[in-house]
Amino acid sequence: MHSLFVWLETSSFSVWVRESTSVFAFPTILALHTIGMGAVAGISAAINLRILGVAPQVPLLELKRFFPIIWIGFWLSAASGVVLLIGYPTKALTNPVFYTKLGFIALGLIALRAIRHRVFRDPSLDSGPVPPRGRLLAAASLVCWVGAIATGRFLAYTYVLLMSA
Amino acid sequence: MEASQIWLVRTLATLGKVTLVSPFMQTRWGWPTCESIHFLGLSLLFGTIAMFDLRLLGMAKRVPIAALHRLIPWGILGFSTNVLTGTMFLLTEPDQYIYNPAFHFKMLFVASAGFNILAFYLLVFRQVVPIGAGGEAPRSAKLVASVSLIAWIAVIVCGRYLTFYRPGLCEGQHSFLSTCIP
Repeated sequence: MHSLFVWLETSSFSVWVRESTSVFAFPTILALHTIGMGAVAGISAAINLRILGVAPQVPLLELKRFFPIIWIGFWLSAASGVVLLIGYPTKALTNPVFYTKLGFIALGLIALRAIRHRVFRDPSLDSGPVPPRGRLLAAASLVCWVGAIATGRFLAYTYVLLMSA
Repeated sequence: MEASQIWLVRTLATLGKVTLVSPFMQTRWGWPTCESIHFLGLSLLFGTIAMFDLRLLGMAKRVPIAALHRLIPWGILGFSTNVLTGTMFLLTEPDQYIYNPAFHFKMLFVASAGFNILAFYLLVFRQVVPIGAGGEAPRSAKLVASVSLIAWIAVIVCGRYLTFYRPGLCEGQHSFLSTCIP
């Protein structure tokens, strides 16, 4: 692993991510990461809260049309996240907080996918409260994205090893 | 303005100590916890407002606009959370914000979003409330929605840029709005 980290960290792209003083480098990559995160966590939070019964006057079934924005946000964060990872591979991959974050993201995506393809498949969704399985998925999804955001922030304040090179 | 900035920094620092916000924020996990809550608040704010703005712009037309508007109180909850956590940052390290040009622009964009919201409720809201499933919002609504999305994205970007525009110590220069610590 060590030689892989060194190879990554000494690559010109990695050096650019870390050391470029341009505002369009690291700061903008972070900004894109945050915007994607806001889209995913925010829109899924609104849908999840509605599934759990908050603001029941909002028709639920048609909210499925906002899922494409969730996926766009996810890919924006994933792409910017990969770039950040190339900049600091050692810092991320030797930090257990990073793996916890990835775990939350994976579970959150699974929950969202299940909500999109199972909960929203029921055409009678708006005729009464959402069945318990759907509510469980919504609660799990909320927990996962809160966890992803919190661990993401704590990544900035914790590390085991900063760099290998 | 610089004299006002100096006064503001001193007052905020005192408030931070007196309210015990600074001692809390200076503990090992105080600041990261506050930041995490700040990001959760931004997600709630941005997510709900984006959904409403996108509907005004023509997305998910089958959702009646008045119904989607019921998500806005959660956006307000997110915004209030961020005003609270943001104030906690401000009380703990006031000079890092009061002299930070990224912070100046961030507040400018928050104010712009605020004026835009005012314009929406005063001029546009009444026209869009009756718009049901399948209805198209008027051009004024689309303008307000676009300004809203741009403003809040700019707030997020400026927020992320804060740490890259941290003010250093002034070396003798004085300007109208200081971006260094005198």
